[in-house]
Amino acid sequence: MSGQSMSVGPGRMGAILLVAPALLMIGFLFVYPFGYSVVSAFTDNGEGSWHIANFTKAVEFYSKDILFTIVIVSLSTVIIGILAVAIAGYLTLGENKTAVAILKWLYRWPLFIPFIVSAQLMRTFLAKNGMMNNILTSSGIIEPLAAQSYLDWRGIVITFVWKQTPFVALLVAGAMASIDRTTIDAGRIFGASRLRILIELVVPQIATTLMVGLILSYVVMLSVLSVPLMINAQSPTMLTVDMAWRINSYGDYGVANALGIMSYLFTGVVAWFYLRQSLKDKGA
Amino acid sequence: MVGVGIEIEKLCVGYDKNRVLHDIDLEINSSEFVALLGSSGCGKTTLLKSLSGFIKPMSGQIRVNGSDVAQLPPEQRNMAMVFQSYALWPHMTVRQNVGYGLKLRGMSKEQINCKVDELLVLLGLADFGDRKVPNLSGGQRQRVALGRALAVDSPILLLDEPLSNLDARIRLSMRHEIRSLQQRMGLTAVHVTHDREEAMVMADRIVILNAGHIAQVGTPLEVYEQPKSNFVATFMGAENEIALNVERANGTLSISEQEAVKAASLSVSNEIGDGGVNWQATAAGSVRGRFRSSAAHLLADGTVPEGHLALAGRVTQLSYPGGVFRYEIESAGQLYMIDDPCRYAVGDAVTICVPAGGLHLYSEAA
Repeated sequence: MSGQSMSVGPGRMGAILLVAPALLMIGFLFVYPFGYSVVSAFTDNGEGSWHIANFTKAVEFYSKDILFTIVIVSLSTVIIGILAVAIAGYLTLGENKTAVAILKWLYRWPLFIPFIVSAQLMRTFLAKNGMMNNILTSSGIIEPLAAQSYLDWRGIVITFVWKQTPFVALLVAGAMASIDRTTIDAGRIFGASRLRILIELVVPQIATTLMVGLILSYVVMLSVLSVPLMINAQSPTMLTVDMAWRINSYGDYGVANALGIMSYLFTGVVAWFYLRQSLKDKGA
Repeated sequence: MVGVGIEIEKLCVGYDKNRVLHDIDLEINSSEFVALLGSSGCGKTTLLKSLSGFIKPMSGQIRVNGSDVAQLPPEQRNMAMVFQSYALWPHMTVRQNVGYGLKLRGMSKEQINCKVDELLVLLGLADFGDRKVPNLSGGQRQRVALGRALAVDSPILLLDEPLSNLDARIRLSMRHEIRSLQQRMGLTAVHVTHDREEAMVMADRIVILNAGHIAQVGTPLEVYEQPKSNFVATFMGAENEIALNVERANGTLSISEQEAVKAASLSVSNEIGDGGVNWQATAAGSVRGRFRSSAAHLLADGTVPEGHLALAGRVTQLSYPGGVFRYEIESAGQLYMIDDPCRYAVGDAVTICVPAGGLHLYSEAA
C-alpha cells in the first residue's frame, strides 16, 4: 500500500505538469481578466475604495437598454425554443421522407455563417426596400406603401432566431433521435396526434437537452455586439453596444464592467434555474 | 370491451424491395388468443406491426370487424399494444402512464382516476401509482405496460414479446396473469413470441411462421402432436432425425431393416392421441423421420415391444438437466438426444425405442 502511494508522487507531478499549460492559459486569459473586471466594476479602474457608483451610473444611463436586452434575448430564446422543437419534431416524427431530407439539409446552414455576416444579410433582407418587402410587394401580399423597415428590435430578434435556431435544433434533433422510438409508437397506438406526441411525450424526454441549448443560445445572444450594432444603431439598444460605447468613446471601463457583471447576473439567474430543475429531476 | 375478429387476406409486406411476408391468410376469431411463433427473421414482428399499423402492407387486406384497416395509421385502429421494451414514458408516473390513453379519449379526471385505481389494484400496483417508471423493477414495468394497454378498453390487444425481458420466475407467473386477464375481459389477443412453451401455455391457437409464410396454424395440441412439415416438427422440438424406408398398406407402416434399425410394423395415426405415427409424407419409400428426445426411451437388453421403432446405438455423452438423464447416443454414424430416467454409462450399448405415437414422417424433400 505504502509502495503504491510512494509511486503516486512522481505520477501526480507529471499530471500537474501536463495540465499546467492549460491551467495557466485559463488563468491568464479568463480568470485574471474576469477578476480584474469585477474589481474594476466596484472601484475606479481597480484603484481606490470600493463603491457601487459604476452600477448606479449604469442603471441611471442604461436602464432602458437593460430592459431592452432582457426582452430581446428572452423573446428570441422563446422563439428559438419553439422553432427548434418544431424542426427537430418534424425530423423525428415527419412521414414525408423527401420533406424530412430537404429540411435536414437546409436547417443547418445558418450555423456556418458568422453573426456579423448574418447581420449584414438581414440588413439587406429586412430594410424598407430590402429583399423581403420586394418579395411581399411583388407577390401582392402587401401594398408598396405599406412596406416598412424591420431594422429595429424586430430585426435583432429575427437575426438571433435565424442564427441560433439551427444550433438548438441540432442538439434537440440529436436528443430526439436517441429516445426509445417505441415510446413514440406507444403514443400513436393509443391514439395521440403528432402534435400531442411531440408536446406531451417527446419534448419532456429531451427537456434537459433543450434547456442546455437554450441557455447556451441565451448566453451567446447576450454577448453579441455586431447584430445590435448593425441592425439597430439607435436607442434603446443592447448592453453590448453600450459597453463598447463606454470603452471606445469614454475609456470608462468601470461602467462597462458594471454592465458586463449585469450580463453575468442575467446568465447566472438562468443557469441557477436550470441547475435547480436538473437537480430536482435527478432527485425524482 | 369484448374482442372482435380479425381477417388477414393475401397480405404482402416488405421493407423497400425486400418482401418479408408473402400472401398471408389468417382468421383470428373474436376473443381468441393467437400466438405468432417463429425464429428470428421469420416475419412474426412484421405481421404484428402490419396489424398495428406501423408498417403499411404492399398489398392485401386486414379486416377488423369486417372493415379493411390495412391503410389506416395506428392511431385510428383502436388497438392496444404491449411492447417488448414496454415503451413506458419515463417522465410520467405509473398513474399517468396507465391513464394517458384515457386522457386522449377525453375522459374526465374523476373517470380516469377511477379506472386507473381499479387497474392498479388488479395488477398489484396500488402502492406504486405515484412512482416514476425508472424507479420500478422489470416485472412492475411489465405490469404498468399491461395496465396501460388494458385501460383503453380496446377490443384487440397486441403483445410484442412482452415477457422476453423478464427473469424466468416472473415470466412464468406473468404468462398466466396475461392469459387470465385476456379471458376475463374477452379480448382478442395477438402475441408474438419465439418461446415455444410460452406460446403453448398462453394461446388458443398457434401460428408458426417460416421465412414469411405460415407453416402451420393449429391448437397447441395439434401443432405439437401433428406437425405438418419437417420445419414445424423441428421447431416444435422433434430434433432427432432419421432416414427410413417404409411401405404403407391398410393403415400400417412397414419399416425396412437397415443399418442399426430393426424392421418394425407401426400403425398410422387417424386422430391425435390414438398412438399412431404422424404420417405427413406424400408417398412411401424413402422418408424422413423425426422424434423428440422425450418421446423415446432407452433399453439395455434390446427386447423391443411391439409397435416401436428400434435403433441400436451406444452412449457417447450424458448430462442431467433435472428429472431425467439426457443421453447423446451414436447409432450408425448419426447422433440422437434421448431423455431417460435410468442411469447408463458412457460407452454402454443401448437400444433407442421410439413409440409409433412419437414418430413423425415426412417426404425427403419436405
